[in-house]
Amino acid sequence: MADSEHGHHEHIQLQYEPALPLPNGKLFMWLFLSTEIMFFAALIGTYIVLRFGAVAWPTPDDVHLVEVIGAFNTFVLICSSVTIVLCLEAARVNRAGQAKMWMFLTLVLGSVFLGVKAYEYNSKFSHGIYPALPRGMIYEQADLEYVAAVRTRLADLAQELNDEVALTERLTAEQAQLPDEKQNLPGEIEELQSDIKTAQDDLAKLTNAEDADEEDIRDARSDLKDLEAELADKQERLAEIPDREAYIEAKLAELASRKEERMKREDRITEIQAEVREAERLAARNPDDPRGALAIQDLALRIYPLHSQAGHGEDHDGGHGATLGYNDQDPWLRLPFVIAGGNMWASTYFLLTGFHAIHVLVGLIVFALMLFVRLDASRSVGVENIGLYWHFVDLVWIFLFPLLYLFR
Amino acid sequence: MSEIAETGHHGEHEHAHHGSIGPYIAVFVALCVLTAISFLTNMEFWQKQVPESVSRTIMMAVSCAKALLVIMFFMHLKYEANWKYVLTIPAGLMSIFLVLMLVPDIGLRTDNGLYGYSKERWRNVGTGLIEADHGDHEGDADAPGSAADHESTEHESSEHDADEGEGDSH
Repeated sequence: MADSEHGHHEHIQLQYEPALPLPNGKLFMWLFLSTEIMFFAALIGTYIVLRFGAVAWPTPDDVHLVEVIGAFNTFVLICSSVTIVLCLEAARVNRAGQAKMWMFLTLVLGSVFLGVKAYEYNSKFSHGIYPALPRGMIYEQADLEYVAAVRTRLADLAQELNDEVALTERLTAEQAQLPDEKQNLPGEIEELQSDIKTAQDDLAKLTNAEDADEEDIRDARSDLKDLEAELADKQERLAEIPDREAYIEAKLAELASRKEERMKREDRITEIQAEVREAERLAARNPDDPRGALAIQDLALRIYPLHSQAGHGEDHDGGHGATLGYNDQDPWLRLPFVIAGGNMWASTYFLLTGFHAIHVLVGLIVFALMLFVRLDASRSVGVENIGLYWHFVDLVWIFLFPLLYLFR
Repeated sequence: MSEIAETGHHGEHEHAHHGSIGPYIAVFVALCVLTAISFLTNMEFWQKQVPESVSRTIMMAVSCAKALLVIMFFMHLKYEANWKYVLTIPAGLMSIFLVLMLVPDIGLRTDNGLYGYSKERWRNVGTGLIEADHGDHEGDADAPGSAADHESTEHESSEHDADEGEGDSH
């Protein structure tokens, strides 16, 4: 505390002379920020090197990156930088209420930034663009390995549908069998109960007899135990029947309601499977024949159209939404797709923006905590420190935005 | 007590502000304008007129200018004592050095570099799509003559190829 008040003049004899003309907290923050500079420089440097060393890099359209959203986020961060610096100004002149208002605004703006970021992330995740091990849905080139992956995915989808059909059959059979069981079980149970009674009587007779054989008694006991277990089992099954019936009925209704959708999906899968087979046939015939490669490439573009590929003349841009890939038409397909350089793009994009977002989150937590504190002049060093941190976060974004969104 | 602290701080930042938020607003406006400039380089008309390398240089220059504005005014570095050099210059130098150190490792390994990608790397690198497409275009660009409707020719030709393939197999 005293470190920040080097204006003390009450204790002349013990006057404290700081080595550096700034509070310890602020010194710490600047030291921390200088390490942060190197941290982000390493990340950004790696990105630059990887990107400009890459043979292929996707355009923003290809990876559903919207530049306007990025620009909006830049604007939001600039605004939040202004609000936090105004918060500091207010705190310095002891206007605690005003300072709190600015702090709150900064918190809101930072949250907007993160919310927009989450929306952006989601738009990529929903298209299957994310880094994954051993591999995600992104393929680097349209080759035989890629078609094989598409074929496998289609087979999996078809299997899922088959499983549904099999389940329907199994449940229908069980449903038909349940009424019989329901009718027979009470009789069986009664029979068992009378059996148990006779067994109990036999056992009683045996134990009372004077010349009873130990082994006979043991056998009779175990028989009785078996009968009782069987009885418990049957009773349990009888009790479960109503629940089971209800469950089967609900499940069958659900499956029946999906039938139309299932048929549609089956048709779609068969259609694409035919295309895959055709492409594979063309490609397998002669590896040097370019028609095979072209067929696979066409298939890849139908599954996931690339704006950089569709029409080399930029003037066709009018039909932006016109080319919907299979994955967009039927999101349940989730077929593998081809973006040259897409995996490296995803890795770098999510690494850089992710680390930045973590920094934003930390800032927001501190802002939220500071809302519970009276932000008067005595706290101005604290406000200044979190402000410095926040400006640095803004600064990083100032570099990330053009590098990630605007560079072509 | 807080009064003393307050005056102490004001002494430190005497030039920064006289209780006015004017400079901050000016910096804010400048930042917005600079952002708009870098966004402008992303527009279609700009991209048609200006080479990409120029646009990139402009964007990076704009980013540096924005960073300087933020550091100088929002972070008050302009008004700090000389300790600021001790903390910022080494970190800045090291970060620049760090980036430069990375460049020869990967950045030079493109086709125009001294040490190009190995053959194997080229085979697995994600250009299959683009290259095949190019070959196709160069092949039939001469035949129809016009370069205007590339898209339609591409589709026709690939369909044509597929038909041919079927014919061969029978």
